[in-house]
Amino acid sequence: MQATSKKVITRDEWEKKLNDVKIRKEDMNKLVMNFLVTEGYVDAAEKFRTESGTEHIDLATITDRMAVKKAVQSGNVEDAIEKVNDLNPEILDTNPQLFFHLQQQRLIELIRNGKIEEALEFAQEELAPRGEENQSFLEELERTVALLAFEDVKNSPVGDLLDISQRLKTASEVNAAILTSQSHEKDPKLPSLLRMLLWAQNQLDEKAAYPRITDLFTATLEDPFV
Amino acid sequence: MVDDSDSEQVQKELDLVGSYFLELWRLKSKRASASSAKDVEMVNLGYEDEELGGEEEEEEEEESVPTELDTLNSSGGFSIVLPDKLSVQYPTVNLHGHDVGVVQANRPAPVKRLVYYFEIYVKNAGAKGYISIGFTTEGFNMRRQPGWEANSYGYHGDDGLLYRGQGKGEAFGPTYSTGDTVGGGINYGSQEFFFTNHSQHFKGVCNVLDARKNGQVVGKVEKDVKGRLYPTIAVHSQNEEVSVNFGKDPFLFDIKAYEAAQRAKQQTYIERISIPQTASYGIVRSYLQHYGYEDTLHVFDEASQSSVPPITGIHDNGFNEHGVYALKHRKILRKLIKDGQIDDAFGKLREWYPQIVQDDTSAICLMLYCQKFIELVRVGHLEEAVDYGRTHFEKFYSLKEYEDLVKDCAALLAYEEPKKSSVGYLLEESQLENVADAVNAIILWTNPEVKDHKSCLHSYLEKLLRQLTACFLEKRLLNGNQGEAFRLRRVLLAKNS
Repeated sequence: MQATSKKVITRDEWEKKLNDVKIRKEDMNKLVMNFLVTEGYVDAAEKFRTESGTEHIDLATITDRMAVKKAVQSGNVEDAIEKVNDLNPEILDTNPQLFFHLQQQRLIELIRNGKIEEALEFAQEELAPRGEENQSFLEELERTVALLAFEDVKNSPVGDLLDISQRLKTASEVNAAILTSQSHEKDPKLPSLLRMLLWAQNQLDEKAAYPRITDLFTATLEDPFV
Repeated sequence: MVDDSDSEQVQKELDLVGSYFLELWRLKSKRASASSAKDVEMVNLGYEDEELGGEEEEEEEEESVPTELDTLNSSGGFSIVLPDKLSVQYPTVNLHGHDVGVVQANRPAPVKRLVYYFEIYVKNAGAKGYISIGFTTEGFNMRRQPGWEANSYGYHGDDGLLYRGQGKGEAFGPTYSTGDTVGGGINYGSQEFFFTNHSQHFKGVCNVLDARKNGQVVGKVEKDVKGRLYPTIAVHSQNEEVSVNFGKDPFLFDIKAYEAAQRAKQQTYIERISIPQTASYGIVRSYLQHYGYEDTLHVFDEASQSSVPPITGIHDNGFNEHGVYALKHRKILRKLIKDGQIDDAFGKLREWYPQIVQDDTSAICLMLYCQKFIELVRVGHLEEAVDYGRTHFEKFYSLKEYEDLVKDCAALLAYEEPKKSSVGYLLEESQLENVADAVNAIILWTNPEVKDHKSCLHSYLEKLLRQLTACFLEKRLLNGNQGEAFRLRRVLLAKNS
């Protein structure tokens, strides 16, 4: 027999203690939002914002992100690129595909505005070198330049590039990249807290017998083993 | 068949659910009135509060901290505490080992935190430099150096030794003298004392030894006494003069970095613990189910099915016990309430769950009536609000338990800018959310599978967080109330490294 000086806490006593703990709903919402954003559930995060009124990250970065999105949506791609670089230059440095799509969008806007010479120059100087590095970039570049070859662009096989949905597509790509960059250096907090719970229980085990939770999926309190 | 006693039982359970959310409301009400009076008490908060921001104050544990030297009990007459109560002098010639000038702080070191720390500056090392910094218990012999007696600890300047409970010191760190600053601290997490030395000489040594890791920490020693400890300084030769800094001025030692390093150390242990890979995912999912965030749940499920690798097995066990019970209804009602459409929410409840709103004076009805009133104030329909209040609040006036909350609502009428008033919290989104949560819980309660009304109140996530918090508190309680509590807010605000 092992002599024990462990304090025994019954289920009733423990539940009383649990009831004294107040966890704020806003904080739980934030925790869930943090999980959705950091794990890349961008759409779910947006829905959750609407349904629970929880903002992602802080308001300032949302505003910045929205400004970038809006710039792309309204065709000011140069402005958008500048804003992204202001936020974090690494976003474009580490994401060649996104950068290419933004440049492609810029080309589309030049063509839309009838700036043919400028468009040609831009395509040859800025986009062609990137196309050499990557086959799919090259195909997209050729498709975009083809816009110049049609008189009635809207009804051409590449007319979809001029569509507003192309802007939206690029905008949401930038948006996702910024979101990722803002959370990328951080892991979600929830798994850490779950580990902390198991750790805290292990620590308390040394001094007391009390109702534990071992099944994280059901959060069931188990009767203390005495 | 429902007989009278059954229906009484039902009403009682309903009230338990409803009053839980009233209690949450009441907490906010108290916080709001406390925070409007808090500006007065901005003194003595110390470094701990800065990082949490003012909003957290009501959760901060009010503990008094040392602010100055004790002038009543200290010194035994051999030293003089100067009028600033932050400096001490030894004016005479010391004769023997029992005429030490010892001074304790006016209060013991606070314990409900991770770290306590203070510093002293040696203005004058006097004839022999018999200066020490340390910690002593309440009944310490006031004519002896800290460390010479049982239950006392001291880092001595003349020999750089660490004394703990006996006349013989242990090799510890460098000596210190005129112009030097040294510090003493308690780490409640590891139950150790630590001392720092900021002399130029020691700084040189530290740079060689990688100062960034240890700062100017000389060393640490196990704390084997449980009671309250007083920061203590001693002088013991002619003309010695020492001043103390209890945190009013910035410390030379980067205490925040030290704390962060201690936390990081603990964190590495925690990160080694393994949890099921899908645990977080399942908990988030059951949270969305519990509160009826159906749109989010839907998108979340879609995304996780197309994720690489797909998250499998979760739909069998990542489930709230209520599952999808009344999910559509709960979602619709949540949205109506969030949008301030209280009449419509009432209507739907009457249609779908008449038993919930049967008793017009129940907690849930009170919350809905109040919210409707709040919405009228929000859109500036004050006359209508007055009429509405007169019609619907009257029946609650006789119910003492609701009085304070109804009063809060009515008080909205008194302000030109109610948002900025002490009852402005009523206009915040979280108030609506609480009403929506209450209605959600009550609908969950109508699930015939439910055996215990408590399961309607808390999501799994909340249960886990409560358990986590309770474990920390209990551990501290069993540890002589020493150490810090767990605060979700701190975790949420912390930037992961």
